[in-house]
Amino acid sequence: MTILGGIGFTAPWLLIALAALPILWLILRAVPPAPIRRRFPGVALLLGLKDDESVSDRTPWWLLLLRMLAVAAIILGLAGPVLNPQEDQAQGNGPLLIVLDGTWAGATRWAEQMQAVEAQLSRAARANRTVAVLALTRPEEPLFQAADVWRSRLAGFAPEPWQPSPADVARATAIIDQMAGFDTLWFSDALDYEGRDEMLETLQAQGDVEVYQTAANVLAISPATYADSVINLQVARAAPGPAREVTIQAEGRDPAGNARILATANGSFAEGETLGTAELSLPAEMRGRITGFVIAGQRSAGAVTLVDDALRRREVALIGGRGDREALQLLSPLHYIEQALAPTADLIDGSIADVLPANPDVIVLADIATLSEAEAAPLTEWIENGGMLVRFAGPRIAASDVSRIDEDPLMPVRLRAGGRSVGGAMSWGEPKSLAPFRDTSPFFGLPVPDDVTVTAQVVAQPDPTLADRVIASLSDGTPLVTRKSVGQGQIVLFHVTATAEWSTLPLSGLFVQMMERLAVSSAAAQPDAGDLSGTTWTPLRIMDGYGTLSDAGTLPGVDGADLVSAPAGPALRPGIYANADRRLARNVFTADSRLIPASWPADVPLRGLAVPPEQPVAGWLLSLAILLLLADVVASLALSGRLLGRRGTTVIGALVLAICLPHGPADAQSAEVDAFALAATVEVSLAHVITGDAEVDEIAAAGLQGLSDVLFFRTSVEPAPPTAVNLETDELAFFPILYWPITPNQPRPSAEAYSKLNTYLRSGGMILFDTRDADIAGLSGTSQNGRKLQDLAALLDIPPLEPLPADHVLTRTFYLLQDFPGRYNSRDVWVEASPPDAEQIEGMPFRNLNDGVTPVVIGGNDWAAAWAVRSDGAPLLPIGRGYAGERQRELANRFGVNLIMHVLTGNYKSDQVHVPALLDRLGQ
Amino acid sequence: MTDPIAPGDYTPATLRTEGEEEAARLPALLARAEHLAGAVLLGAHGRRRAGVGDDFWQYRPAQIGDSRRMIDHRRSAMGDHEFVREREWQIAQSVMLWVDQGASMRFSSDSRLPQKSDRVRLLGLALAILLLRGGERVGLTGTRLPPRRGNPQLLRLAEVFCQDDKADYSPPEHRAMIPHARAVFISDFMGDMSGVKLALTKAADRGVRGVLYHVLDPSEEAFPFRGRTIFESVGGTLRHETLKANDLRDRYLERLATRKAELQSLCAVTGWRYGLHHTDASAQAALLWLYAALDARAGVAA
Repeated sequence: MTILGGIGFTAPWLLIALAALPILWLILRAVPPAPIRRRFPGVALLLGLKDDESVSDRTPWWLLLLRMLAVAAIILGLAGPVLNPQEDQAQGNGPLLIVLDGTWAGATRWAEQMQAVEAQLSRAARANRTVAVLALTRPEEPLFQAADVWRSRLAGFAPEPWQPSPADVARATAIIDQMAGFDTLWFSDALDYEGRDEMLETLQAQGDVEVYQTAANVLAISPATYADSVINLQVARAAPGPAREVTIQAEGRDPAGNARILATANGSFAEGETLGTAELSLPAEMRGRITGFVIAGQRSAGAVTLVDDALRRREVALIGGRGDREALQLLSPLHYIEQALAPTADLIDGSIADVLPANPDVIVLADIATLSEAEAAPLTEWIENGGMLVRFAGPRIAASDVSRIDEDPLMPVRLRAGGRSVGGAMSWGEPKSLAPFRDTSPFFGLPVPDDVTVTAQVVAQPDPTLADRVIASLSDGTPLVTRKSVGQGQIVLFHVTATAEWSTLPLSGLFVQMMERLAVSSAAAQPDAGDLSGTTWTPLRIMDGYGTLSDAGTLPGVDGADLVSAPAGPALRPGIYANADRRLARNVFTADSRLIPASWPADVPLRGLAVPPEQPVAGWLLSLAILLLLADVVASLALSGRLLGRRGTTVIGALVLAICLPHGPADAQSAEVDAFALAATVEVSLAHVITGDAEVDEIAAAGLQGLSDVLFFRTSVEPAPPTAVNLETDELAFFPILYWPITPNQPRPSAEAYSKLNTYLRSGGMILFDTRDADIAGLSGTSQNGRKLQDLAALLDIPPLEPLPADHVLTRTFYLLQDFPGRYNSRDVWVEASPPDAEQIEGMPFRNLNDGVTPVVIGGNDWAAAWAVRSDGAPLLPIGRGYAGERQRELANRFGVNLIMHVLTGNYKSDQVHVPALLDRLGQ
Repeated sequence: MTDPIAPGDYTPATLRTEGEEEAARLPALLARAEHLAGAVLLGAHGRRRAGVGDDFWQYRPAQIGDSRRMIDHRRSAMGDHEFVREREWQIAQSVMLWVDQGASMRFSSDSRLPQKSDRVRLLGLALAILLLRGGERVGLTGTRLPPRRGNPQLLRLAEVFCQDDKADYSPPEHRAMIPHARAVFISDFMGDMSGVKLALTKAADRGVRGVLYHVLDPSEEAFPFRGRTIFESVGGTLRHETLKANDLRDRYLERLATRKAELQSLCAVTGWRYGLHHTDASAQAALLWLYAALDARAGVAA
């Protein structure tokens, strides 16, 4: 590749063709443009005229320039230009090995790293080099393949949440040793690890080595510790630098259980320091919900530290017997257990009734024999919900009859009367020591000190269940600690006192460890390997290299000792591990981990990742050439007058129209719909259905106008002018009421219109059907309109109907009415049937009827005709005769007012039945 | 005038409608007969003297020899003398049209301009309507449609005007010209001049006076062409190729001016009038000019 002015060319000799451009210019200039054919009647006058010179008009310079540019673009494109050519890199031609550290330290910049790798792969592909990729965190024997193959497999590489172990490095070295000579590109994560130097030497023996690593500093966070009611956080960085602040986010669950950031703290690195600290003080309740700490802006497993029970302080309620010897503090039954638990648990004092509402994790009963029924019942319930009751024996229990004959619900075993004492002055034998813990015991693995002796204890009755319940026993096999599960909780009984009276157990360190194992207390610090030896921990959630937690699935459990001390690897993935009730977080970056920046010998070239990838631009140039040539076609046509011929104009016009047309009407339509919605909703508007019969529609509109006027004058309803509604196209939801005059010839609405109508009826709309024939509407179906109504309403979702009862709310929403005349005076108006159980309550004038608005009112009185007014406000149609007719019109108007009031206020007037009762209550 | 109908879309009906519209804007045209004495056919053409006609001319005292039934009793009853009502002597004038139907007329340089043929047909028919309304007899030169009176003639004219001629440049029809009638020739006069010369000489021989109306498209007057161009006549019979059309402009305009001068001198010799009209100008103005030219007294015509 040749570099010219920052652009590389794969075929630079083609650029010589650019020299031919001026010649082309001259040639193109000399060729005349095609003649234009013109119809011209004046040609008769032209006949015989000769041209002065034989040279024709020249092609315009801009058209020439366009063509020149197109040709130049083609030449440049074929010359294979490449942007950002990486000319400063040595370009070998043998096989190429790309070594990835692939650790969490590079996870934050992983995308960048992969881009750099991809750039190298495309470069290798151009040079026809075979490539192999080796990730040190997962060394697998790589195959030298075409670079494009590796490029497609690149997405499969992900950072691992551990550093290459010496075993990994050894294996990688072995693999490299087997391969023939090659050059190496090493994408380092900027952290040192064991065996890196040897690895480098091995690689250098094979060929050139170049190292790529990001300039960004690697940050990590140590596991949080809790001391003096402050959470201490320590952050580390690989390379010392200027003073810097990092934000540490405490992640956890809010009370609703959603993951969120609970708090943030600022950790600061002093200048030149690699360690920084932060402190966070949180209430215990919030502290208990923290699941981990994250360095903001970092996306690596090292920048995440998970939190286990270490931050969690258990609440332990200590309840002793009545202290008749209070003065003797060391003899207090709770003294030793207080001392054992105080550093790691929050202690609560009080009676059982007092502490249960606080829902402590553990309740310790020291030598309390009997519990009253009022105490035992809530206590049992608390245990069944997951509480842990720890009881210690003592003289009182030994003396009582608790759990003697029958097993007490709050005791794990039955007890023999009196207990026993061994090794005392009055007995034979030596004080008993503890037997080693069995592997089924939660204490399995704890060392048994020799100096723990038991001189007195309460003794369990042999029972079939006893063997299962013993979790610690004396050397002679007598149970020392028994346990039973109750519901989700458990009851543990120490068969000795919590004081040093009966045994030396409370004095020993074993006592504290037993408390920890029982999860009575949580470990104050990260447990060491010895503490956990013999336990098996199953992973709950594991972390990937980016620090994202995921379900552990069926990963095998790990040994407790390994969990703490072994380095993380494929067999020990960082994450949350569980053993019975205890949880332990295994973090990538542990308290004793250090970040050591990788240092490279001077002879190894070291590069940053921010290398812009090479970009071939030939395709773009050739596309540009095609576009220019297309423009040339258009320009040439325009120049010779052929672009916009009569037909051309039509075609272009049609094209433009086709592009524009779908938008225009759609917009217009939506604007129309909007205008309709606006008009219908700014004010209340009465609406009538367009029947298609012009006269009926006119009368309906005039009728609603008359009713609107009446409403305007007499009530606080001030409707807008009525709206004519087309069931097929218009939205119905805006109208409180639809007046639907029935004509024999109106078309049935479409299925969509019916579904709209049903939605309208269900959502509180009302339709006033008017058969306009004074017939009993729709019941006998004797009239033409009645039959039409039946036909129309068959598909509507109409509830059962009944003739309007005398106590219906329609009779009193505004006026007190018993008749509902329109142009005709028929009593038959049908509304939604009242519920069958509606009863008139004694002393109430009305029944308590349906709660909503009746969805339909059906009648045949031709109300619109009675309401109808001319534009000057005078009645449109005569009603009845003389004064009686006017009276009937007035009643029709009143019915209209009542109807609209009913629609707008619902059963508000129905509630008036309660007024006497309300007044009565007010004392009037 | 704007054309509500696209050029070339005239049917007899629409052409007549438009002609009627055009004619409605002018008072009835009363062409003057140049030769009162030579008039052979009577028509409703006021001669400013008593004679045979329908319109009132004057009352004169009854003289001996007047028939009694000639006495106008209404006027006579106003006084002691008896009056006779005289009517104006009216005659009809024959006007012969020749409207160029050649292919060269079917041209317009711009879609907004009417074709020349549309314009000349419109003008011809409008003129015919005016003349017919004035009671004149209107027809075409040649034997196809001799001058007649009345509205049916209008329909025949419109029908003839809607027929295109295939020839590129058609010479004026000069046969069967009625002596002492008037004639109107409307054309672009792009074709051979000999035909025009022959027609006009023949007309002058027969005492026919008239108007030579020269209608041109604006592009024919401006010659706005550039570059390598092949000019073709509308019928496709003539073609001329040039490498630089803009160089031809001056010489073309010179030739056009010569053509105009030739026509004008021909008119001057034969006693005709020469008029020039461009299709981008208003048809109304053209009709007015034609009206005035036809209405001009004998001898005044240039």
